[in-house]
Amino acid sequence: MSLLCKNIAFTYSGAENPIFADVSFHLSAPGFHSFSGPSGVGKTSLAKIIAGDITSYSGEVSTNGLQTILYSHNKERLPGWSNVDRHLNQVILPSMRSQKDELIKIFGLSDCIKSRFDQLSMGQQNRVNLIRYLLQDCEVLIMDESMSNVDESTRENIILAIKAMFPHRYFIYISHNVMEVAKFCDSILVFRTNGKASPVVMIKGCNIGKGEILSPAALDATLLEIMNAS
Amino acid sequence: MTHKAKSLTLPACILLAMVLLVTTSVEGKEKVTYRLKWLRNVSVIGALYAETHHLFEKAGLDVEVKAGGPERDAIREIEMGYADFGVASADQVLRARAKGSPVVVIAQLFQVNPLQWMYRPEEMQIDNLADLKGKIIGITFGGNDETIMRTSLAKAGLSKSDVTLFSVRYDYTPFYRRQVQLWPVYRNAQGPIIAAHLDKAQEKTSFFNPAEFGVKFVSNSVVTKSQTLEENPELVKRFLTALLTGWQQALSLENQEEAIKILLQYETNTPHSILEEQLKITRELIHPTTNLAIGMIDEPGWEQTERIMQAQKLLPMEGVDFKTLLQPVDGVNEIYR
Amino acid sequence: MLLRRVFQFFVIYFLFILGLMALKYSLNLSDYVIPAPSGIFQTLVVEYRQYSIATINTMTVAIIGQILSVIMAFVIGITGRQSTWLGSFIKVAAYNIQAYPIVALAPILFILLGDGFLTRLLIAAMICYFPVLLSVLGIMSKPIDDIEHFYRVTNRMRWQLEVKIRTFENLTQLTTVVAGSATLAVAGTIVAEFIAANAGIGYNIRIALYQSDLSKILIALFLIGITVAVYQALLELLGTAIKRAWTGR
Repeated sequence: MSLLCKNIAFTYSGAENPIFADVSFHLSAPGFHSFSGPSGVGKTSLAKIIAGDITSYSGEVSTNGLQTILYSHNKERLPGWSNVDRHLNQVILPSMRSQKDELIKIFGLSDCIKSRFDQLSMGQQNRVNLIRYLLQDCEVLIMDESMSNVDESTRENIILAIKAMFPHRYFIYISHNVMEVAKFCDSILVFRTNGKASPVVMIKGCNIGKGEILSPAALDATLLEIMNAS
Repeated sequence: MTHKAKSLTLPACILLAMVLLVTTSVEGKEKVTYRLKWLRNVSVIGALYAETHHLFEKAGLDVEVKAGGPERDAIREIEMGYADFGVASADQVLRARAKGSPVVVIAQLFQVNPLQWMYRPEEMQIDNLADLKGKIIGITFGGNDETIMRTSLAKAGLSKSDVTLFSVRYDYTPFYRRQVQLWPVYRNAQGPIIAAHLDKAQEKTSFFNPAEFGVKFVSNSVVTKSQTLEENPELVKRFLTALLTGWQQALSLENQEEAIKILLQYETNTPHSILEEQLKITRELIHPTTNLAIGMIDEPGWEQTERIMQAQKLLPMEGVDFKTLLQPVDGVNEIYR
Repeated sequence: MLLRRVFQFFVIYFLFILGLMALKYSLNLSDYVIPAPSGIFQTLVVEYRQYSIATINTMTVAIIGQILSVIMAFVIGITGRQSTWLGSFIKVAAYNIQAYPIVALAPILFILLGDGFLTRLLIAAMICYFPVLLSVLGIMSKPIDDIEHFYRVTNRMRWQLEVKIRTFENLTQLTTVVAGSATLAVAGTIVAEFIAANAGIGYNIRIALYQSDLSKILIALFLIGITVAVYQALLELLGTAIKRAWTGR
């Protein structure tokens, strides 16, 4: 099972120039991967192409055995007619209840799970949304800014927990937080600004897991590599 | 003078000339508005004839004849100053008068009320009012025909339970389908049309006229404001003379084709034979005998109309002063016998 | 809300009467053209009972007509929301029916259905349903992407859920439209009664017109106005109650 993209190019309808062209990369192992780069380079578009939400692109996406690819983002909402716990229960299998409870605890949502979605803070809303996606049966989950408005330490806890709980899943984490990406991701697809020979570069991240200690030198090296690439 | 100014001079001159032409053409003619009670049809042929044959203009008047309609009320318009003369039914006039309106009647157009009931002679024979017993009778609730029919029934000593009253609309289907036995129509306008329609199906028609059984309810009259009559009697005289002349000429047999030509302008699809019949009946209603001059005011008829309405609580019991209400104009109502 | 609406109606109505009276007395018009306040009051006393019953009769037809039209608008709006052939066909049909003036259709209805309850009901419903339909169509054909995305990508979206989401998200607009359509339903019923029925306040207005009695018309307008104001306020209260129960706010 792997995700292979070859020479992907995409142009917004009505636009003259493609937002990106000739993007190729290969994710060969499950784990935490990332798309990184400044706003407007096409991270979301590429994610939607992979998820199948955008079909008007050129190039080839091979999902070799990765059957379900879900795309989630930070603007999503849950319906407001009942509390978020009820909504979650309605969209997960009963067998996943315990996993849900565990995630709620790790995500720091125990106190507000009986509230309605619009009563939550933006950070809480994003976490609730992420939980429902995590508990879906999928091989690839794309998380587009899915943890914005969540404080840093909670975010770290969440990422580490996700990595531990879903070791066989591919995650594509889209974030502007370079430090976080460098620290936790296995591979980082860096979108380069115009004028570079290749539109994207794949960089190896530190990919630390629960209980692992990160050497500052390794992190510095990765950060430097990302900076040089972009 | 600049080029632009020059180019404006010619149109300005033309405009001025046109204004002068228009104003001189009506110069000396008094502007008068005459509001009809209903649309332009045979019931107002006199006004239409006077209009077409310039009888008003010959009398020095510039008369605008305006069609009426269900929501139009000539008396209100006269009081508000939107019209100078108008056609109103007697019940309207009496109601208005009872409420202090300064309306006066200067001529009565119909000597016989055209509002009558159509029936199939094969279904009944009406020799007296009691023959209405057990019949299904169409009436317009709230309309004149309700008042007239209720009076006829009361006169015959019939109560509500002795007949079936059926609410009538513009659509005659219930009569055609024999759901209703007596259907109210304007004898002169609708009567010939429906009769012709039924004639095609070889069905005979007759008309029940309550007046023949002593129920006299005055119909359309020419009205104006008492102030106009007092301040400008000459104008009223000229207007009424021209109008009644219009009626006289429209109804005279020798002008029949001319009158039909006028009606055809408004009822393009009505066959000639029906228009001829409409005119004939109108003649009988407006000028039934030589004793009754065109436009004559039938005071006893008005008094009976008032009594009928009072009996049905449509008017207060303190009566109207007919001396001030009915104001025939200086011999004009006597001209055409 | 109820009291405010009634109060507002009173203000409007009495300003209107005041305007009429100013006209009457400044132009010295007779009671036939514009009735005097005492005449209006006298008519109120005499006709109060009959006119109130007639107004209730009209309101009953209007309310049933409105319920029918709201149901009809939702059914058509929901089936017509999809951009399928059937969806666009339903939309075109619904728009076409509305293109015919009801006054032109009314005689056909009266011939087919008679001039009783059913015709009044149908005309009320037809006049009131279109604005509701337009709103429902608009609401139902506009996706709420940020909520629907999850259900769509996880194959959980059913039409019932879609309708529920779109209704919930546009509840305020929907309740406003439904409350507003009450006026149209009443107007529709009165028009139907005026044209042809034998009952209801519209029928009474027609008779008053025959009798050239403006007092009766003013009383009828008063009763219609106050009933509509109360009904609308009740609908708004119902809307607020539904919203509170459903949104928890």
